[in-house]
Amino acid sequence: MLFQKRTERIFIWVFFPLALMMPLFLEQNTFYVSKLTTIMIFAIFVMSLDYLVGRCGLITLGHAMFYGLGGYIFVMIAPEYDAVNFWIYTFYICAISALIALVIGFLVLRTSGIYMIMITLAFAQMTFYFFSDSIEFGGNDGVFIYVKPDTSLFGISMFDLDNPIHFYYLCLLSLFNTLFFFRLVTRSRFGRVIDAIHENPGRTTALGYNVFVFRLMAYVMASALGAYAGYLFTMQYGFVNPSMLSWQTSGSALVMSILGGLGTLYGAILGTVVYEGLHYVLEHMTEHWLLFMGALIILMVILFKNGIAGYLEKLLEKRS
Amino acid sequence: MENNRKLSHLLLAGALTGTLSAQAVAASDEPIKVGIMLPFSGIYAALGDAGRNGLKMALQEKAAELHGRKIEFIEMDTEARPERAPEIASSLLDQHNADFIIGPVHSGVAMGMIKVLRNKDTVMIIPNAGAAAATGPLCAPNIFRTSFSSWQPSYPMGKVALDNGYKRVVTMSWNYGMGRESLDAFEESFTAGGGEIVKKILVPFPKTEFQSYLSEIGSINPDAVFVFFAGGGAVKFVKDYDALGLKGKIPLLGSGFLTEGTLEAQGPSAEGIRTTLHYADALDNEVNARFRQNYQQMFAKPADIYAVQGYDAGLLIASAVNRLGGDIEDQDALIKAMEEAKLFSPRGEITFSKAHNPIQNIYLREVIDGENKVIDVPVAALEDPARGCKL
Amino acid sequence: MTTSLFFVQLINGLQYGLLLFLIASGLTLVFGVMGILNLAHGSMYMIGAYLAWYFVENTGSFTLSAIISAAIALGIGIVVEKTLIQRLYKRNHLDQVLLTIGMIFVFNALQSILWGDDPLGVQVPDALSGAVPLTEVVEYPVYRIFVAFLCVAIAVLMYYMINRTRLGMLIRAGESNREMVECLGIDISRLYTVVFAIGVMLAAVAGVAAAPMSSIVPGMGEHVLIACFVVVVIGGMGSIKGAFVGALLVGLVDTFASVLVPQLSSMMIYILMAFILLLKPQGLFSS
Repeated sequence: MLFQKRTERIFIWVFFPLALMMPLFLEQNTFYVSKLTTIMIFAIFVMSLDYLVGRCGLITLGHAMFYGLGGYIFVMIAPEYDAVNFWIYTFYICAISALIALVIGFLVLRTSGIYMIMITLAFAQMTFYFFSDSIEFGGNDGVFIYVKPDTSLFGISMFDLDNPIHFYYLCLLSLFNTLFFFRLVTRSRFGRVIDAIHENPGRTTALGYNVFVFRLMAYVMASALGAYAGYLFTMQYGFVNPSMLSWQTSGSALVMSILGGLGTLYGAILGTVVYEGLHYVLEHMTEHWLLFMGALIILMVILFKNGIAGYLEKLLEKRS
Repeated sequence: MENNRKLSHLLLAGALTGTLSAQAVAASDEPIKVGIMLPFSGIYAALGDAGRNGLKMALQEKAAELHGRKIEFIEMDTEARPERAPEIASSLLDQHNADFIIGPVHSGVAMGMIKVLRNKDTVMIIPNAGAAAATGPLCAPNIFRTSFSSWQPSYPMGKVALDNGYKRVVTMSWNYGMGRESLDAFEESFTAGGGEIVKKILVPFPKTEFQSYLSEIGSINPDAVFVFFAGGGAVKFVKDYDALGLKGKIPLLGSGFLTEGTLEAQGPSAEGIRTTLHYADALDNEVNARFRQNYQQMFAKPADIYAVQGYDAGLLIASAVNRLGGDIEDQDALIKAMEEAKLFSPRGEITFSKAHNPIQNIYLREVIDGENKVIDVPVAALEDPARGCKL
Repeated sequence: MTTSLFFVQLINGLQYGLLLFLIASGLTLVFGVMGILNLAHGSMYMIGAYLAWYFVENTGSFTLSAIISAAIALGIGIVVEKTLIQRLYKRNHLDQVLLTIGMIFVFNALQSILWGDDPLGVQVPDALSGAVPLTEVVEYPVYRIFVAFLCVAIAVLMYYMINRTRLGMLIRAGESNREMVECLGIDISRLYTVVFAIGVMLAAVAGVAAAPMSSIVPGMGEHVLIACFVVVVIGGMGSIKGAFVGALLVGLVDTFASVLVPQLSSMMIYILMAFILLLKPQGLFSS
């Protein structure tokens, strides 16, 4: 069975059908559909980070670099006034970010722990300032994407990106595929080596595995998926801004992933939904939402030892 | 299935504060919805707060002219985060069906808002962000601005500098759109009159370590320095300029934001700085005197330019609603009423250009005894060239 | 660049670096001893600056204000350690990261509620308000020279404390072997409380010292936080000596880069950090 944990199966059976039906209840209000879309896109990003941090033990504070690159690569390579093919550009963007990740990963993976956090941050900050100082890419004010790609595959157009409901389903599908993909990876031989490295890098080396190469592969994969999330995000409203690359973006993704339950993958969805939901509700209730948000985060760290998913597992796994 | 539906309705009611207004109510009984998209937390919070205060004050003062229409405010904190701007704008547009959307402070956020709101069924009024593009290449019938274009406050300073006999000037600002555009506008009029920009310094945004740049300026020893800084950065810059001994030796000129809402924090370091802006606290007219007094009373602090710009956004709404007899359903009529509006603003009379940017006086001010005193009006009724706008 | 300008810039760089050291020292101390990554460290810098402003407004004396602010910061440090941090010693580092991010939110909100969002300023105390001429145009304010010496003094004091006093001995022992210290009958949790509170106080003192020469604005803590991390990581986490060298390096590189290579100046300290970590993956003076 691909999804081993009972809790994860329950989550999938509750979350995805509900998410599939959501637009039916929300048709009067396209905003909620868009809001949920944004949350799902970010959940993809958080999940790719969760894989790195939780499964591989590679803590990065520079993951937003790839989120932003997903948008900026599109701006750099796509013609400004012609519709391009969504899938081909998905491939381009993932491939180019993977190449960039290969180079950066080659450098940063020599360090570990806090040093790796900081060196990933350093590269992300350099990229941030590169775009923020650049005049040709809109600088600090950002840049518009005027024509959205079309999504035809073998002559059949499946999603109209200008239609919020279509786009919602594209993102939901992407989210499910990301979870499915990461599950395949974690259950594969590659994934078991990664787990072994996470447990004990020394012993894994002794067994004859090249730890560096395995980590590099994981880093490249997660970065490309992070870029895919960023690409989706810029497609939603057609707007790219350097703030996507900021360390605050990396930071909040990290918060969501820890909140959800590190390394559980589906916890990334939980963490993102809970965090964004809280943010939304509190922001509408009080101007001092930061205070309550902060207090709730502190409370949750103290109460939930292994994030929300960890808490749920404690409740649900006992009975099985 | 039934349970699922109930559950999701519960979720909806609980988690999302939906506002599904009853469609049956006649238009004129419904309140006019004014969405506010300003930063209430983070580095620009003070600016957002002042803008909101001004807006609310204007609409409260003009309540009698709204033909019985009530105003409903929907406030959203942008946190000055551009990547969130499209989402918040679409929330005000689609979820709250706002008739007017007022915002933002930050130019990056303005770009994100414009992306969503351009040519949509709402009117966007920018109460601060000066990005040239908003009333330039990206101008649209439903986008208005009650503040300024980055070009406006800085362009007249070139002439002022020449009149004072300054020939060699160093310009300096943060390296972002608003800063670069301000320096360009100054340079445009200054070099056209024969002045020379000896050096242009662009500081990474939002860095506030100015010492090394100021030491360099000291060694160049130009006739004057022209800068664009605002908020906390302006405070730090003015203090550093004084501390390193440049004040009193090299005259400091600036776009007026250098000394707006910051004078108390800058203290004596700000004395004698001359700036150009479309407003001055001490502007001698009746509207301004009343405005400043009421503002002080309502919010227990002195009004600044950001409050004025918010106030004028309120005046603009009130004047259009009044003119249309309270019926703002027809967007074309609404836009026309706004285009023809003539506002009696605390900054003097303003009208709107074809690109929907204010046509306004620019004042030369000098900080005297902790206040921006008007010493001249270098250009009256200045209109932004609106380069690239096809309206 | 003329020789005189070079020396002026050298002074600028050193002064900036020394201030960075003061801010970063508490961060590296807390990490070195307790292994806690306190992201809310920048917030304490901010709180220090706001407290300085508040008490200068209300007492009129900068010295008095500095003392009260430092005492309050010490109190905040003790309370936060006892109520929150203590619960997380046995958890992984990332839980601490999450906790301290929550604290950043709370401190930012408190700042906005207590003191508002307008930029504030503190005037330089009268006794230190003069300036020393450097070149024909540029002069150097006495207060900034004073702060530079204060930073050096604190560095020396910390060095003395860690290497020569009983508390320092315990700190060094706790750093290398926690269980051993506990076996010797020393209440390690008490030691941790003290160290954490000192770390918080150092950040706040840096905020107080910086207040008269900067603008006190919302979000000032976050800008400083990143620079601090760069300093601490370059020097080697937990090493006071490393933080000192790292801070001077960052101060000098940042100052000279902004004049010599302005196009790259925004990235320069990150390039420096990446470069150093590639050569020495544990920083310059890792223990």
